[in-house]
Parts: sequence; structure tokens; C-alpha cells
Amino acid sequence: MKIIKQVGIIFLLCWVSLVIEALLPFSFPASVIGMILLFLCLLTGVLKIGHIQEKSDFLLSNMAFFFVPAGVSIMNYLDLLADSVVPLLLICVVSTVITFAVTAWSVRLTAAAMRRWKR
Amino acid sequence: MSDVFSSPFFGISLSILAFWAGEKVQKRFRLTVLNPLLIAIVLVTGILLLFDIPYEAYNEGGQIINMFLAPATACLAVSIYTRIRLLKENWLPILVGCTCGSLASMGSIFFMCRLFGLDEKVSLSLLSKSVTTPIAVSITERLDGVVPVTVVAVIITGTLGSILAPAFIRLFRVRDPLEAGLAIGACSHAVGTSKAIEIGETEGAMSGLAIGICGIVTVLFSLFIS
Repeated sequence: MKIIKQVGIIFLLCWVSLVIEALLPFSFPASVIGMILLFLCLLTGVLKIGHIQEKSDFLLSNMAFFFVPAGVSIMNYLDLLADSVVPLLLICVVSTVITFAVTAWSVRLTAAAMRRWKR
Repeated sequence: MSDVFSSPFFGISLSILAFWAGEKVQKRFRLTVLNPLLIAIVLVTGILLLFDIPYEAYNEGGQIINMFLAPATACLAVSIYTRIRLLKENWLPILVGCTCGSLASMGSIFFMCRLFGLDEKVSLSLLSKSVTTPIAVSITERLDGVVPVTVVAVIITGTLGSILAPAFIRLFRVRDPLEAGLAIGACSHAVGTSKAIEIGETEGAMSGLAIGICGIVTVLFSLFIS
């Protein structure tokens, strides 16, 4: 019953976030609403980690598996991708380097600025 | 006979077996390139094509697995919450780093897609590829892109980041573990985080935080597109 309760809590939370998504005047992904909602519930103490521990461990540790069907549907788009494999890979490599560098440098600058400001 | 493939049991068990095989291969060779999800996708796609099983039949089971994506995304909140002290102590560098990193990622992708003259639908599907798969997928859905392109690009990016992270740390002379962790998490989400955990405890925790924060920041920026 413990696991069923945890499943119930998390599924209810996901449904509530669908309701919120439908009510919002702009489009915002329901799954991210669910994430913010759960964070607020934990922060305010409405939910304790213990209420959802096992279910959340199960979901987080198997996260990659849940994407198998989403990835497999790429077989419906093979012709769309055939011409752009090389640019796609290039974009992945270059943007990864840029993202790493920009994040590292902006954190470094912020940390340096904070040190100077404290002095 | 072809009906038997339309049972959800077929799609679900095929997915599980393929992913399990992927994990076995990764454990055996210990190479980040051999990502279990990537192996599972190739295996399932290969089997479906080889035996001429329609995607729709496989997807009877696939849909049921898909249903777990939203709950799994919601649970990312748990991993942020368990690191709340670290977040409170370093909120400014974390926020600035994740914001700049997410902008740099989306900006560089946008620019290169234009440069290579990529298909509009494909370009929109790549925009979110540096954030964790569930959030990237919801962004692509909202932008009306091609979800599987996003999934594959996210995995390739994560794998790249994870392999290159140690080299990046030397190349960009990163000495602060906070800086290293955030940069790894921002550019290569959960796959990179597993590498960051190997590098150090602070690196791992920071990388894990960056997954959630970069995800939310990227969603916010994507609201301004189209």
C-alpha cells in the first residue's frame, strides 16, 4: 500500500499540473509545472521526502529507460534526418564546448565579483 | 499473427530487454560512448525494421512507458530539494552561470542551424538539447518540433559532455569545483552529472543542481520563441 500511495501522490500531482497548464494564459510545459509544484510542496512541508521517497527513487534512477519509445520513434523521421547528420553532430559538439566555457566563465566572474564586493 | 505485436506486452518487454542489453554492454566495456539508451534505441529500431513490425504496434507498449516521463520530470524537484543548502549558499553564481550557459547553448544552436540552413522543424527540435531529456522534450513539443530528434540530440550532447568534461576542465583552467560542476551540468545534464560525481562530491552535487535550474531557465527563454 505504501508504494501505491506514493504513486497516487505523484500521479495526482501530474494531473493537477495538467489542470494548471490548461488554465494558464500562456503555454508552459505541464511536466515542468509538476516539478515546480512538487518543489513548493516539499519547501512548504505539505509533502515530506518520506511520502514519495521510493517512487521518486524508482523514477529518477530509471529515467533513461523511459525515453526508449520516444527515441525509437526516430525511425519515422529517418528521411528528414538523412541529409543533416553531419551538421547535427557538428552542432552538438560546438554548442557543448560553448555552453561549458560560458557557464564556467560566468560562474568565475560572479564568484570574483562577490569576493571583491565583500571586501 | 501480426496482432500479437500490437499487444502492449510486446513493446514494453522489447524496450526493457533492449535497455537491459544496453546496460550489459556498457558494464562490459565501460565506455561512455556506449550509452544504454542509445544502444536500446538502435536495437529496438533495428528489430522493428528487420521483422517489418509497424511502429504503431510497438507504440501500444511505448505509450505506457511514455506515461512515466511526466512523473519522472516532477521528481527532479526531489534532487534539487535534497541539495537546498548548497543552493541557498551559492544561489548567485548558480543562477548567473545557469542563465548564461542556457543562453549560450540556445544562441549557438540557433546561429549554427541558420548557418547550415537546417530544416526549420529540426532546428526547433535542437534548441533545447543541452537540458535534461524530459524538459527538452516538453520544450520541443511546445515549439512543434520533432521529439525523437530532440531525444537523440540530448543523448549525444550528454555523452559528448561526459567524455570531454575532464579535457574541458584542463582546457578552460577550471580550478573551482563549483564552477566545474555547474559547467558540466549546464552542457551535458544527467549523463554529464554521472561523470561529475566521479570527479568529486561538490562537482556532482553542483552538476545535479544545474540540471534542474538550466531546465527551468531554458523553458522560460523558450517562451519568447515563436
